[in-house]
Amino acid sequence: VRCQHYPPLRALQASAVLRRVSDEHKKEPFTSSSQQQFDRHPAGHQPEQEPQGPRSSYTGQGGQESEDYESEEQLQRRILTAALEFVPEHGWTAEAIAEGAKTLGLSVAAAGMFHSDGSELILHFVSECNAKLSELLEEEQKLVQLGEAEKKPTDEFLRDAVEARLRMLIPYIEKWPQALSVLLLPRNIPSSLSLLTSMIDDIWHYAGDQSTDFNWYTRRAVLTGIYNTTELVMLQDSSPDFEDTWRFLENRVADAMNMSSTASQVQSTGEAIVQGLMGAAVTVSN
Amino acid sequence: VYQVFESVAKKYDVMNDSMTLGIHRVWKDILVHKMNPSPGTLLLDVAGGTGDIAFRFINYVRSVREQQLQRKLKHHQNLSWQEIFENYQEDKFNSLGDSQVVVCDINREMLKVGKQKAQHLGYSEGLSWVLGNAEELPFGDDKFDVYTIAFGIRNVTRIDLALQEAYRVLKPGGRFLCLEFSHVSNPLLSRLYDLYSFQVIPVLGEVIAGDWKSYQYLVESIRQFPPQEELKAMIEDAGFFKVDYENLNFGIVAIHSGFKL
Repeated sequence: VRCQHYPPLRALQASAVLRRVSDEHKKEPFTSSSQQQFDRHPAGHQPEQEPQGPRSSYTGQGGQESEDYESEEQLQRRILTAALEFVPEHGWTAEAIAEGAKTLGLSVAAAGMFHSDGSELILHFVSECNAKLSELLEEEQKLVQLGEAEKKPTDEFLRDAVEARLRMLIPYIEKWPQALSVLLLPRNIPSSLSLLTSMIDDIWHYAGDQSTDFNWYTRRAVLTGIYNTTELVMLQDSSPDFEDTWRFLENRVADAMNMSSTASQVQSTGEAIVQGLMGAAVTVSN
Repeated sequence: VYQVFESVAKKYDVMNDSMTLGIHRVWKDILVHKMNPSPGTLLLDVAGGTGDIAFRFINYVRSVREQQLQRKLKHHQNLSWQEIFENYQEDKFNSLGDSQVVVCDINREMLKVGKQKAQHLGYSEGLSWVLGNAEELPFGDDKFDVYTIAFGIRNVTRIDLALQEAYRVLKPGGRFLCLEFSHVSNPLLSRLYDLYSFQVIPVLGEVIAGDWKSYQYLVESIRQFPPQEELKAMIEDAGFFKVDYENLNFGIVAIHSGFKL
């Protein structure tokens, strides 16, 4: 019997909208895939109203965009970002999220919105790092296009990109092994894998180099391998400013480049052999 | 409703155990686990007369606090004896980490039983007992971190008012948790459950508590109560976000959760 009143309200409330955040600074746009909800219609929700009586928040403000209002996802992201500051102390846990929520003026119970193993916090961090990397590479590319900088050779480009990305882990390096193990949980693998591959693709996109003989999959696999192994080396590196790690990275990238040139050598040798055989065949037929 | 619980108060716990074959303890444990409270949380347990949720909350927070302190001590490996001594002093005075529970119930008898239990089990700090009506709570706005109501909401006449009060007294970011009997969708199980409810429970009521009528009322009120989705809609109406429910035992019991954002 009661259900009849609810369907219209349900439809309009489908995109939850929260309190006004008029003087909130806008977050930088993400390039990760979790970003589709900025334009959800708020349909005139007024969160500050007195809770007496039924909610009658449909005063026709449907046209008002989400400039002043915040969606659930945005709030969740803000909480997670605030929580990052507490990770070195508490690890990637619900405790860090609770502390983060506190700094935003929310109750510690808000951490209950997330999984108690900190998965969302880690995935959020990874996607933020990837976004930062994309920005960096985008700016570099602009400089090159404007002629203000030289285009780097592929190996140097890859090396710098991977180093820049790994350096973002430095403040959290102590608790990073814990994060890696959480990312490997079966539940998280689809998301963590997709974040990894999109980052690798990004780097190759900006590297823009067409002269190697790798095809797309090989390139992806090679760089993924370089990135993962360097990351693991970094976790165990105690040299000043991780110089051992960067040297390892340099060597791996050089290996990859050699592999490509060997492949092309093999190919040109092959071509030469084929030509020789063709010549022999022609001679014989004559 | 008041009279039902007046007569039921003393035997409440025993009846719970026999009716649910002791599973209600597990359900309540799951509720507190889901809450995952950190030290410093302020909990309001409504209709929590005999204190089951409150005691579990205190235990949970205490153990979390212990773990926290152990971790802190591990980091400070090279303390002097003086510092170690000071740390232990601190522990004694803060084993709950400033967490607190306020148990609110409309029924004085239930609160009395709860207080006695607390004394008997040795719970002294962090507990308050307040007489109050869920539809009109005697607390100010934005006070609590978590609001729980375990097996109490179906006894409230105007559920929407209770939900609105819950919204009011919670801090921004606060969580609403409701543990309640709900609808079983599996048809086979549903039939068995009905059989058990209508044949066995009132009989147990008569035998153990000497009260057939109250338990008949109980079983009927469970059937009258709105199912999971409807309750979720009502909670959303009160202003909560990220409202979700988790079925326990195929829907015999459900935990609804919402946040004031």
